[in-house]
Amino acid sequence: MRKIAIAAAAMLLGAPLVWAAGENVVIEPPAEGSVTREDGLAAWDRIFEVASHPRCSNCHVGEDNVPMWSGPSYGEARPHGMNINAGESRIGLEYVTCATCHFERAGLNDVPHAAPQVAMAWQLAPVEAEWFGKSSDEICNQLRDPDRNGNRTFLDLAAHLDHDLILHWAWNPGGGREPAPYSLQAHVDDVLTWGVAGMPCANDG
Amino acid sequence: MGRARTIARRSFLIGSAAIMGGVAFGTYMVRRPYDNPLAAELPDGAATFNPWVLIDSEKITLVTPHADKGQGVASAQAALIAEELDVEFGQFEISFGDPSPAYWNTAMAEEGAPFMATDESFPAETTRGIMGGVMKLLGLQGTGGSTAMPDSFDKLRRAGAVARETLKLAASQRTGVPVDQLQTANGAVQLPDGTELKYTELAAEAAEIQPVADIELRNPSQWRLIGKPMQRLDIVGKSTGTLDYTIDLDVEGMVIAAIKVNPHQGGKLNGYDASAALAMRGVRDVVEITGGLAVIADNTWRAFKAADALELDWGPAPYPAEQADHWEAVAASFTPDRLDSEWRNDGDVDAAQAEGNVFAAEYRSPYVAHAPLEPLGAIVRVDDDMVEVWTGHQLQRQLQVLVAGITGHRPEQVKLHNQFIGGSFGHRLEFEHVKQATEIANQMRGTPVKLVYSREEDFAHDFPRHISTARGRGTVSDGKVVSIDLEGAAPSVIASQMGRANIPVPGPDSQIAAGAWNNPYDIPSFRMRAYRVPELAPVSSWRAVGAPGGGFAFDCFLDELIHQAGADPMEERIRLMSHDVSRKVLETVAEMSDWGSELAPGKGRGVAFVESFGVPTAEVVEVTATDRGIRIDKVWVACDVGTVVDPVNFENLVQGGVIFGLGHAMNCEITYSDGMAEQTNYHAHEGMRMHQCPQIMVRGLENGHKIRGVGEPPVPPAAPALANAIFAATGQRIRELPLWHHIDFV
Amino acid sequence: MQLTVNGQVHEVDVEDDMPLLWVLRDELGVTGVKYGCGVAQCGACTVHLDGMAVRSCQIAAMSAEGAEITTIEGLGTPGTLHAVQEAWIEHQVAQCGYCQSGQIMQAASMLDFNAEPTDEDIDLVMSGNLCRCGTYPRIRAAIKTAAAKLREA
Repeated sequence: MRKIAIAAAAMLLGAPLVWAAGENVVIEPPAEGSVTREDGLAAWDRIFEVASHPRCSNCHVGEDNVPMWSGPSYGEARPHGMNINAGESRIGLEYVTCATCHFERAGLNDVPHAAPQVAMAWQLAPVEAEWFGKSSDEICNQLRDPDRNGNRTFLDLAAHLDHDLILHWAWNPGGGREPAPYSLQAHVDDVLTWGVAGMPCANDG
Repeated sequence: MGRARTIARRSFLIGSAAIMGGVAFGTYMVRRPYDNPLAAELPDGAATFNPWVLIDSEKITLVTPHADKGQGVASAQAALIAEELDVEFGQFEISFGDPSPAYWNTAMAEEGAPFMATDESFPAETTRGIMGGVMKLLGLQGTGGSTAMPDSFDKLRRAGAVARETLKLAASQRTGVPVDQLQTANGAVQLPDGTELKYTELAAEAAEIQPVADIELRNPSQWRLIGKPMQRLDIVGKSTGTLDYTIDLDVEGMVIAAIKVNPHQGGKLNGYDASAALAMRGVRDVVEITGGLAVIADNTWRAFKAADALELDWGPAPYPAEQADHWEAVAASFTPDRLDSEWRNDGDVDAAQAEGNVFAAEYRSPYVAHAPLEPLGAIVRVDDDMVEVWTGHQLQRQLQVLVAGITGHRPEQVKLHNQFIGGSFGHRLEFEHVKQATEIANQMRGTPVKLVYSREEDFAHDFPRHISTARGRGTVSDGKVVSIDLEGAAPSVIASQMGRANIPVPGPDSQIAAGAWNNPYDIPSFRMRAYRVPELAPVSSWRAVGAPGGGFAFDCFLDELIHQAGADPMEERIRLMSHDVSRKVLETVAEMSDWGSELAPGKGRGVAFVESFGVPTAEVVEVTATDRGIRIDKVWVACDVGTVVDPVNFENLVQGGVIFGLGHAMNCEITYSDGMAEQTNYHAHEGMRMHQCPQIMVRGLENGHKIRGVGEPPVPPAAPALANAIFAATGQRIRELPLWHHIDFV
Repeated sequence: MQLTVNGQVHEVDVEDDMPLLWVLRDELGVTGVKYGCGVAQCGACTVHLDGMAVRSCQIAAMSAEGAEITTIEGLGTPGTLHAVQEAWIEHQVAQCGYCQSGQIMQAASMLDFNAEPTDEDIDLVMSGNLCRCGTYPRIRAAIKTAAAKLREA
């Protein structure tokens, strides 16, 4: 967080070449005013490709708290097998905790069809960030709404991508799963580009 | 076609059963009893009265030769002996015994006889008798075809009675009290003055006496055990993790083996590089086996990991690589030259359908895996003078023959320690895993080798249930079903399965038509023809074998015709039923389910009736169409097994059979791509889970003349009853399994 | 590494990523815990880690260091049955029985935090434990019996 704060301060000072190295990615926003709305929307389209990809959206589900499964041997995306429900806790505390199978673990669980695991507690995204089945505009508006994005600026979003290891899994899911498109770094760059463009959405008037 | 001609046409089946054994036989040969295997190494002072009872000064041992794969037959067999022997649970031990022709299955011939199970005519019974004689000559010991109770019911009660009467005779000789003044109870002979002589005390004397031959079985009104709930002998072990399955056994000096065998089943191993695997921790060796490699290691996980590290070059499968081509091969087999048998031809179908309004529909049933939860495996140790095998198997003597064929021993040098089985559903009639363990152990004689299949290897090599397609044409008139012409095509499961055991079975395969031809309806014109599809993927007996596919097609088609006729599905089935015991089954399930009562919107009820293994079984399924898919709410089952041995275990087995049938109908199939099964674990072949499980109400009727087994019969009606219920709730007819290709389930 | 299994401390020398399941079964001879699928699809390997039900095929043994590991053998024995095991016996739940260690461990864990589970609770908690024989109706009944026993205790 501290590094981001420095980067943000540097931006405010109008120093375009100052950038921050995150712990896992480089957080280097384009210079203020250097991104057109069109380029911002193009970045958003790529962000949406990521957000709507099953590796992300399967856990960004709504208030039924039911994660989704998809992939070549699952047919169409369908509710997580075994009647799994993560509850309002979003980590399964009420019934079967996610950690029953998605144990916290350093290193990849690369066995096909086994429970994905990362070095933090497996969980659903907050219910406000419901992406599964949502349109580009719906996700775009949610992601820039402080009431529904955890009160985050675009730089905070980039930092969140840097720190939350569960998100990194999307690009390195192992077990033969299809990773989210682009790369973590490219995704962070797109978020920064979109942010510097003023977080435009296609439905803006 | 008249009955006599039917018999003549089918008689070659009986002949083929004789060819199977390569024997010519006479009445004497058939009547002569086999030697008692317990007598061979009988210690001094121990008594054995027959192949099922062994008593010495320490304990009573009851031999329960039918394999227990979860259906509770270890207990049920013991109960039958104990009923007449007058011993209580807790007073005896059980043993699966050594394989022996003395344990030949007296009931297995029934299903092979080409008659409807409901046919108790002279020719039908005579044929069964002849085939039973063949089974005896073959000494065919086996568990399957829901025969454990039919085989055991009289035989084991007699075994108990013979032992009891012989023990009484021994007591009489010791005390001078006449036999008719002696009573038996609680494992002891009671004298008139109340003195008790324990069986174990009498063993040495009883051993000197020729077993009493002239016994009478007790009247059912005198039964202490049969018909009443019993606590299964394995229930405490299975509820505390203390019962060992094959996979849990530890034989001294044992190594672990994991295998990779060509997933294009039957394909060759063209080449390999095992260097990476050999360098891994705990790996002792990599050896070649038929069609693949085995990794020998000191730990199962290390063996699995090393097996995954093998680099393998597989040859292609000997069957079509893609699933669509399998279906095409089936579709292309409805031709005269592939007619396997015409199983039924009542009335005149051609005339009935000559003019107008013939309704036609086609049904499909997929390959389905057995996938028992205990993975396949075996422990084998090969020594120069004997081979020991620890595994749970349903065909004990064939196992000896096949193992001996690999090691060069004689079959009787193969000692099988049969084990409690963690599920089979037919897979433990197969031998591949035992043969593979033997091939490995034979390359490292003196060292016990425990082969454990990974789940992925199990799915890749599950010889699934055969695929089948059935085409129905039917007519209705005046609100009634008047004609059905049903043609079914499938590869022969019997040929595929017996082929792997080196047993040629000429003649038609009854399982292509099972469930489709044999339901005792009196439809004015009814023809059922079975076509044999040339061999595709290797297939095997899956719980109820042909009847789930055949029953799905027949009963759903009947349901569609009843709907076309505008009749009530239950009433029309009852009207058409020609067999009293079966009609009672339908009437009972109608009463249980309150058939015809109002249902809330979105709900629907379906009924199905399928006879399999001699058990007429009717099921009513009630579903609700919710916004998340179909929810199965309730199921009612009525079936007639003649005699219910243990009502609690009976209910459990029937509920389990319904769940097995429904679960696989919902979401299970094996499909081939690039010659390999696409489903690699339970995520893709799930069956039913707790949240999908309906309430299941069970009633066992006892109107039938013969005792029947209930392991399989509840399975076949489940899928059609569910499909018919979905139609009732939604108006959607689904003619292909698994149903989830067409509709979601909650 | 050191593992505490059913109250006993064991020293084991295994790879860091060997699943707890295989350490229990093959290194320590604790075979009540079963292998069914290896990928958290069947639940046969369920044990308790500090009282919480987990799939031992998914946990590297190393991650279980320092925790109290309880298997079916530690839950209760034929001589001193746990209430859940008593109920399982009363209802004659098992057929082949291979999944039942896992079913019992999952049920016992649920009853620790939910003294009176509804049918819906049972559906939500127990659906990760696969029974190929189809003993679900009896599992459901046995859980309710066990819950009543535990409430009375």
